[in-house]
Amino acid sequence: MLDFWRNCPQYLANGLANGCLYILVAMGFNIIYNSTGIINFAQGEFSMFGGLFAYALTVSAGLPIPLAAILAVLSVALLGGLMERLIINPLRRSSVITAIIATIGASIFFKSLGRVIWPLEAYKVPEFTPGNISLPGVTVSRQFLWVFALTVASVSLVYVFFNRTRAGKAMRACSVNRQAASLVGIDVFRMSLYSFLLAAALGGAAGLISAPYASYGMGLELGVKGFTAAVVGGLGNVFGAVVGGLVLGVLEELIPGFLHIVLGISTGYKGAVAAVILIAVLLFRPQGILGKGMVEKV
Amino acid sequence: MLEIKNLSAFYGNVEALRAVDLWIRAGQITTIIGANGAGKSTLLRAISGLIPTRYGEIRYVGTNIANMEPHRIVRMGISHVPEGRQVFSTMTVEENLMLGAYLRSGRRKRKEVAEDLEFVLDLFPPLRTRLRQLAGTLSGGEQQMLAVGRALMSRPRLLLLDEPSMGLAPLVIKDIFNCLKRLHEQGLTILLVEQDAQIALSVSHYAYVMRAGKIRMEGEAEELLRSEEIRHIYLGEGGISEDELMR
Repeated sequence: MLDFWRNCPQYLANGLANGCLYILVAMGFNIIYNSTGIINFAQGEFSMFGGLFAYALTVSAGLPIPLAAILAVLSVALLGGLMERLIINPLRRSSVITAIIATIGASIFFKSLGRVIWPLEAYKVPEFTPGNISLPGVTVSRQFLWVFALTVASVSLVYVFFNRTRAGKAMRACSVNRQAASLVGIDVFRMSLYSFLLAAALGGAAGLISAPYASYGMGLELGVKGFTAAVVGGLGNVFGAVVGGLVLGVLEELIPGFLHIVLGISTGYKGAVAAVILIAVLLFRPQGILGKGMVEKV
Repeated sequence: MLEIKNLSAFYGNVEALRAVDLWIRAGQITTIIGANGAGKSTLLRAISGLIPTRYGEIRYVGTNIANMEPHRIVRMGISHVPEGRQVFSTMTVEENLMLGAYLRSGRRKRKEVAEDLEFVLDLFPPLRTRLRQLAGTLSGGEQQMLAVGRALMSRPRLLLLDEPSMGLAPLVIKDIFNCLKRLHEQGLTILLVEQDAQIALSVSHYAYVMRAGKIRMEGEAEELLRSEEIRHIYLGEGGISEDELMR
């Protein structure tokens, strides 16, 4: 038991690092869900492209890391925009479930595309600043500081966007009541495009900083974790994603750590923790920890 | 100002509007009365582009706006206060009103928008004290004021109002209709859909009666108010129930 407590700071640090990635992916899920009612199952693949583009731009093309990072995020955003115009927008007169199924198709397509271009199981994406920082009881990689800083910056920017800008407020209006939004003159299909651009950029950023390795397969895991974080925080609650991501990241470290040290159970099932949490939340608190704000259907 | 000719719309295979003809004169309050499910709201939704129409046209100052996207119709000066108010409940009153002016962005328009905000707050004083409150926390009457105010913020030439009296206390209804009269005096053209025929006819110039997707009767509001049939069926006098009417 003592060993478990001693390890706790490390679990928390690791959980925070992973949680940051989940936050970014989960916000992407929520932003698209709010504007369109669609769960975008290709959200994880945005992260995959973020990682693979970062690899291509730094290692293959030899660009400096900051420039490569910006280009990678922009390219993924562009891809998200293309997906919206080519797949989602043409389905605007169909039901939401049709569009959701189309996103599953898009996800498979993106993954295959990634695999064709980058067939190896893992590509080493350079860390922004290599090396570790050791504190008593905790060792974190320097990369972790970047992950943390970029997540804080992204969440803040998204917050400002939704609360201070005209487009952001229009997107919030869409999420409350799409019909009323169109009656004040908001082009709801344009908002759908913006939501895909933004969600893809956030997903791309998550993939980019989830170094050290990127591969065509990484989208699935980040997608599932991000979706779980979104559900835990309350689907449709953009800032609930912050709570959801952190809770998921930390529990994913604490639970296996506890069971391993105290009960001697192997940590091989670690990946199942998120799935169990997802099912538990859906069963016992489907509106998530924060719920979807104070939405009243009038 | 608005002329609807032979308009038909369908929900699936159900014909919700059947060859509707309707004419709105500029500067007047026109009203559509009729029982629940008669197609009144559907007609408004067709005008503001929320539902597709199959046949016929909707001519607004010379252009056919049938099947145009809703946001373009708002830009042309038609503003729709939907049934059930549909305010943005998790946003503040001020945010709701400013979203009403969504299409009027840019520095030059900012002053105009600020003036219109003042105008709306003068028209509906209860909103002024609640600018920072979430719209979902307002009372029904205040939400209706907010919905009308939001629609006015786009500076419309034609205002479509769907059941503004729904679920409100008689005194509040009176307030809202007094405001509508004031708006009309300022030159706004209004198309009003109401189940409460008495109050609707009392503020209107011209009226249409709808039943089962069709226009069944039309005339000067005062005339209809005096007509035996209307009194019996829609003003609850004489004891003919709606069920009898449907036969």
